[in-house]
Amino acid sequence: MNSKILMVLGVFALITGCTTVSQGGYYWGDYSASYMELVKDPSPEMKERRRETLTDIINESKELELRVPPGIYAERGLLSIEQGDMAQGMADLSSEVETYPESKPFVERLVARFASEEE
Amino acid sequence: MRRIVLIVAVSLLGACATPVIETKKEAFPSFYDETPNPVTMVIVPAINRSTAADAGELISATLAQPFADNGYYVLPMPIVSQIFMLEGILDGSQTLNLPGSLFQSAFGAETVLYVTINEWETNYAVLAANVTVGLSYVLRSTSTDEVLWSYSARQVIDTTSDSSGFIIADIIATAIQTAVTDYLPIAYQVNSIAVATLPHGQYHPQYGLDGDSGVVLQDLKEGAVQELGQQ
Repeated sequence: MNSKILMVLGVFALITGCTTVSQGGYYWGDYSASYMELVKDPSPEMKERRRETLTDIINESKELELRVPPGIYAERGLLSIEQGDMAQGMADLSSEVETYPESKPFVERLVARFASEEE
Repeated sequence: MRRIVLIVAVSLLGACATPVIETKKEAFPSFYDETPNPVTMVIVPAINRSTAADAGELISATLAQPFADNGYYVLPMPIVSQIFMLEGILDGSQTLNLPGSLFQSAFGAETVLYVTINEWETNYAVLAANVTVGLSYVLRSTSTDEVLWSYSARQVIDTTSDSSGFIIADIIATAIQTAVTDYLPIAYQVNSIAVATLPHGQYHPQYGLDGDSGVVLQDLKEGAVQELGQQ
């Protein structure tokens, strides 16, 4: 059974290129696995693990000279703000817009949301 | 693996005697005309029509990666689903009557992707089991409400455990086989079957160059729109 899943995953890995860089040219690290864990258990510990995963994706992408995948900076930014680190959070949100200019309307709406929550 | 290929081949043969195959450009012409193509995509929570209560959240967690890899800017799913949750939206079916313009004003997104879970189940025979995942995808413009891309994909995989030689043990093993982890690799496959028919977005090296690739089965393109309309 497990061998079958492994085989399926193996074939999938072959199809998608067998390296840590995806077919679209991104490094995703543990993106899906940690997302799944967070869905099942949205505790502060899991959020911290998610944050570490996102940080790994950002650092490794830079190392490999790849564009950081869509949404990674924004998500870490939001986690930082939630954890009280406003400066880091806002810096990450700016990085999202720098990397993907079309994300600007979305990020602006997020910032407006905090502003209205702060009041 | 050979079994999967066989099943796929048989289902292809059985389903449509004369499948009509279109190129991406024939099937989804708006991506290849002179108007600018959309880049941003908001994915609403999955529309869960299966009996598995947690399938929606799980499938949502698998979607961002394949669509981003295909060249699109996918709005961050964990943030997006949190926003939907705050608005009381847990299942995508609650969003079906919302006009596209709302997704534009609330998220700043050019397109909205609906994913319907049609099948997410395990079928048991005495000594065999198979897992079926069937999903349909519909991508709509938020400015015109026009369907830009649609596809329906399903995958059946035999998950029967390797026989131990003891029939009772085998029956028990079969019955406890299918855990969440069994569905996910299949969900990834279903995603990649569907995404293979989506014209590449501007972040992909093949952007604008894939119009002649003849990979779209017309039935599956049209089926997805019908399946979404059935709710």
